[in-house]
Amino acid sequence: MHSQFRRRTAAVVTAVALMTGCAGNAPAAAPATTGSQPATTGSGGDTVRYAAPGSPSNAVTDPHGLLPGESDMVRMALTYDVLTVPGADGSTKPRLATEWQPDETLTKWRITIRGDAKFSDGRPVKAADALFSLRRMGKKAAENFGRMAMFDLDASKVIDDTAFELMTKKPYAEVGKALEGATFVVPEGSDDFGKPVPGSGPFRPTAKGGAQAVVFERNDDWWGPEPPSRFIEVRAVPDPQARAQALLSGQVDLAGGVPATLAKQQEGNSAVRLLRRPGATLYPLVMRMDTEPFDDHRVREAVRLALDRKQLLDTVFLGYGEVGNDLITPKDSSSPANLPERTRDLDRAKKFMADAGLAGGVDLTLHTTTAYPGMDSAATLISQQLADIGIRVKVSLEPADTYFSEIYGRKPFYLSYLGGIPFLDVVRVALTPGSPTNETAWKDPAWFADLDEALAERDDAKRSSLLADLQAKLRDQGGYAIWALSDRLDLAKAELSGVPEGIGFASAFIDQVSLDG
Amino acid sequence: MLQLPRPVGALVRAVLLLAAASAVIFLCTAALPGDAADVLGGGRATAEELARLREEQGLDRPLHVRYLDWLSGVLTGEPGVSLITGRPVAELVAERVAVTLALAVAALAVSIPLTTAVAWAAVRGPRWARPAANTLIVTCAALPQAVVAAALVAWLSAAWGMFPPVSMLPAGERPWHRLDLLVLPVLTLALPTAAYGAALLRGAIADVVARPYVRDAELRGLSPAAVLFRYVLPMIAAPATRLFAVLLGGLVAGTAVVEILFGLAGLGELLVTAISTRDVPVVQSVALLAAAVVVAGLLVADAAAPKAARS
Repeated sequence: MHSQFRRRTAAVVTAVALMTGCAGNAPAAAPATTGSQPATTGSGGDTVRYAAPGSPSNAVTDPHGLLPGESDMVRMALTYDVLTVPGADGSTKPRLATEWQPDETLTKWRITIRGDAKFSDGRPVKAADALFSLRRMGKKAAENFGRMAMFDLDASKVIDDTAFELMTKKPYAEVGKALEGATFVVPEGSDDFGKPVPGSGPFRPTAKGGAQAVVFERNDDWWGPEPPSRFIEVRAVPDPQARAQALLSGQVDLAGGVPATLAKQQEGNSAVRLLRRPGATLYPLVMRMDTEPFDDHRVREAVRLALDRKQLLDTVFLGYGEVGNDLITPKDSSSPANLPERTRDLDRAKKFMADAGLAGGVDLTLHTTTAYPGMDSAATLISQQLADIGIRVKVSLEPADTYFSEIYGRKPFYLSYLGGIPFLDVVRVALTPGSPTNETAWKDPAWFADLDEALAERDDAKRSSLLADLQAKLRDQGGYAIWALSDRLDLAKAELSGVPEGIGFASAFIDQVSLDG
Repeated sequence: MLQLPRPVGALVRAVLLLAAASAVIFLCTAALPGDAADVLGGGRATAEELARLREEQGLDRPLHVRYLDWLSGVLTGEPGVSLITGRPVAELVAERVAVTLALAVAALAVSIPLTTAVAWAAVRGPRWARPAANTLIVTCAALPQAVVAAALVAWLSAAWGMFPPVSMLPAGERPWHRLDLLVLPVLTLALPTAAYGAALLRGAIADVVARPYVRDAELRGLSPAAVLFRYVLPMIAAPATRLFAVLLGGLVAGTAVVEILFGLAGLGELLVTAISTRDVPVVQSVALLAAAVVVAGLLVADAAAPKAARS
C-alpha cells in the first residue's frame, strides 16, 4: 500500500515538474506579489473572500443595466451608494437618501441626500448626481425591468446640492421602496462604463484581481459605519458545487447559494456555519388565464388544491424552506398574515374539474428547465400529483439559455422563477396588463383600480392593509400556484460575522462582514 | 496553374482556412435562437424596448454586414465590445489567455509522453501489456471530462487530501504561481486527451514498424533502442507533430468544462457563457483564437514534415 502510494505520488510530482518546466519558459512571469500586500492574498484576517453566484465572463461594470449575476450586485453595492436599502424585515431603510417626503398629492417627492458623501475622486455627491443616475436607469429600462417606470424623470428636477424633486406619474406612496437596492449613484455625466466610474460606496475596487476576482479596499472616506475588514475579495463562481467546495477547502470565507444536498452534509461540521435566508426563492407554477383550460377559474383552483406542497418542499428543496400558500411575495412586509393554509384536497379538486366539464381529465404540457436547481424535478413531481385529478401532464424540459426569452410569458403552463423581490416589483414586471411580460394574463380592472387607490393612500397601516387585500385576491383568483418557498443557503467560515440578513437586494450589502467572530 | 512558393502557399491556405472557420462560427451563432437583446431584456422587456436595444447594439443590421464589420475589426486589432458587458473583447480575452494557455500547455506536456508511451505499449510493448494498453485507450478516450474530474477529486482530493477540489486562483496571481491548483484540472484534460491521441498514434506506429527496412534492421540484430531512434521515430515525427497540433487546439477549445468545474476563469468558460448569452463578438473572437491555434500547429507540422521525411 505504502509503495503504491509513493509511486502514485511520484507520478503526480512528475506532472508538477513538467508544468514547472513550462512555467520556466513562460514569458513575463509577473514579479512575486506576496509581501507587498500580504493582506490581499491567502487567508489573512484582514481580507474576507466571497464566492458569489455569477459568471466572471459576463461581469458588468455598468450599475444601471442588467446585473446578470449576484456577484455583480455585490460588487456594485460595495462600490456605489444607493438611495435606500431594504431592511432585514422588509421595510425601507435610509442610505444615501436620508428623507423622502411627498407633497399632498403624493406625486411630487422631495428626496434629501446626505451632505457628507464623496466620490472616490474627491467630488462631493450631489442631488444632481442622484437624479442623473435615476434618469440613466430610466433610459436603460429594457435592461433593468423598467425599475423607474413609476417616475416622471423628465419632470423631476434638482432643488439644491442635497435635495431633488422626484415626480411620479400617478400618486405613489411607496417611493422609498421604489428607490431600494439598485439605485446606484454615479457622478453626473458618466457615460463610459467600460471601466468602473468613481463611486462613493464603502469600498473601492482595486486593480488587483484578474478575470475572476475583484479585490476591494475599504474606503476610509465613507460616511457610514466603518467596515471591519480592510479588504473584501469578490469572486464570481458559476457552479454552486464549486462555490461550496471552495469554502470547504478554505479557499474562500463565504460561499453564496450552495446546493441543499451539500448543506445537509455539513450539518454538524463546527468549522462552517450554514446561513439560511427564508423565502428567498420561489418557482411559481404559471397558468395563463387567457388560455384553455386555465381561463376557467375552477381549473386553476383545482390545480392549487391538487398540489402536495409538503412533498414538493421536501423533494425539491430537501426541506430547506416552507410550504407556500399561493402568495406571490409572502416575505413582503405588506403580505397578508393569518390566511388559512391551502392544503391538498383531492375531492374538492376533482369536483372543481367536473364542474368545469373536465371530469374525463385533460392533456397539458408543463414547461420547465434546469436554469435553477430543482426546477426540473419540481415539474416532474407536479405532473405526478396532478395525475391524481385527471390532469395528464407532459413535462417538457427546455434549454436554460432561452427559457426566459422563449417560454417565460409565452407558454400557458410553465414554472417561473422569482428571487426575493417585493410585491410592487412583481406587479411591475409580471402583472402589467397588455405587456408581454404579464405571464398569467392577469387583467382584472377592479384590482388595478384598487392598486391605484392603495398607492394613493398616505396612511402606512391603511395602505399596507389595502396591499394585503390585493395579494389575497391575487392568491385566490390569479394564475399562480406558489407551492413552496426555498431558503437561500450560504456556507460561511464559523468565525465569519456581519453577513446581512434578508433576501433579494438586502443580501448584497456585505460591507460589514468580518472574520474576527 | 500558378505555383506558389511552398511557405507562401501554406500561409495562404492557413488564412483561407481561418476565414472559412470564422464564417462557419458566425453562421452557427446566428442560427441559435434568440440574441443578446433577449438576454439583456431577461424576458421582461417590451417589444419596442427590445427593438431599441437591437438598434443600439447593431443587431438589426443584415447578417453579412455584421460579419464583415466584425472581420474588419479583428483585422485592425479591434474585435469590438461585448454586447452583454460593454467591455472590449480584446480585454476580456487578454485577461483569460494566461489561465487557458497554462492549462492547455501543461496538459499537452503531460499528454505527449503519455500518448507516446501508451501508443508504443499498445503496438510494441511486452506481450502482456498490449491488450492492457489497448483497453486503456478505448475506455479512457471516450471518458467525459466531468467523470475524470469527479474521479480525480474523489481520489486525490477527498481521499488523500493532496490537492484542493477547486482551483480558486488567488487574486492577482498567475496560474503558474500556484501549480498545486493546476494539477487536477491539467490531469482532467490530459488523461482523456492522451488516450485519444494514443488511439490515433497507434496506427501510425504500427504502420512504420511493419515497414520492410524496420524488419530488416531488426533481423540484422540492431538493438530495439537503435531501431526506435534511427528508423521509427523519424518516420512518425510528422504524423505525431500534426496530431499534437490538433490535440493542442482541442485542449484550448476543450478547457470549458474543466474551467467551470474547478472555478477557473479562462477562455473556455468565457466561450460557454458568451454562447449562452448570445454575445456574438466574444464567441467569434474566442472561437477564432482556438481555430488559429490549430491552424498554426498544422503549419508547424507541415513545415516539420519534409524535414522529418528526409532525415
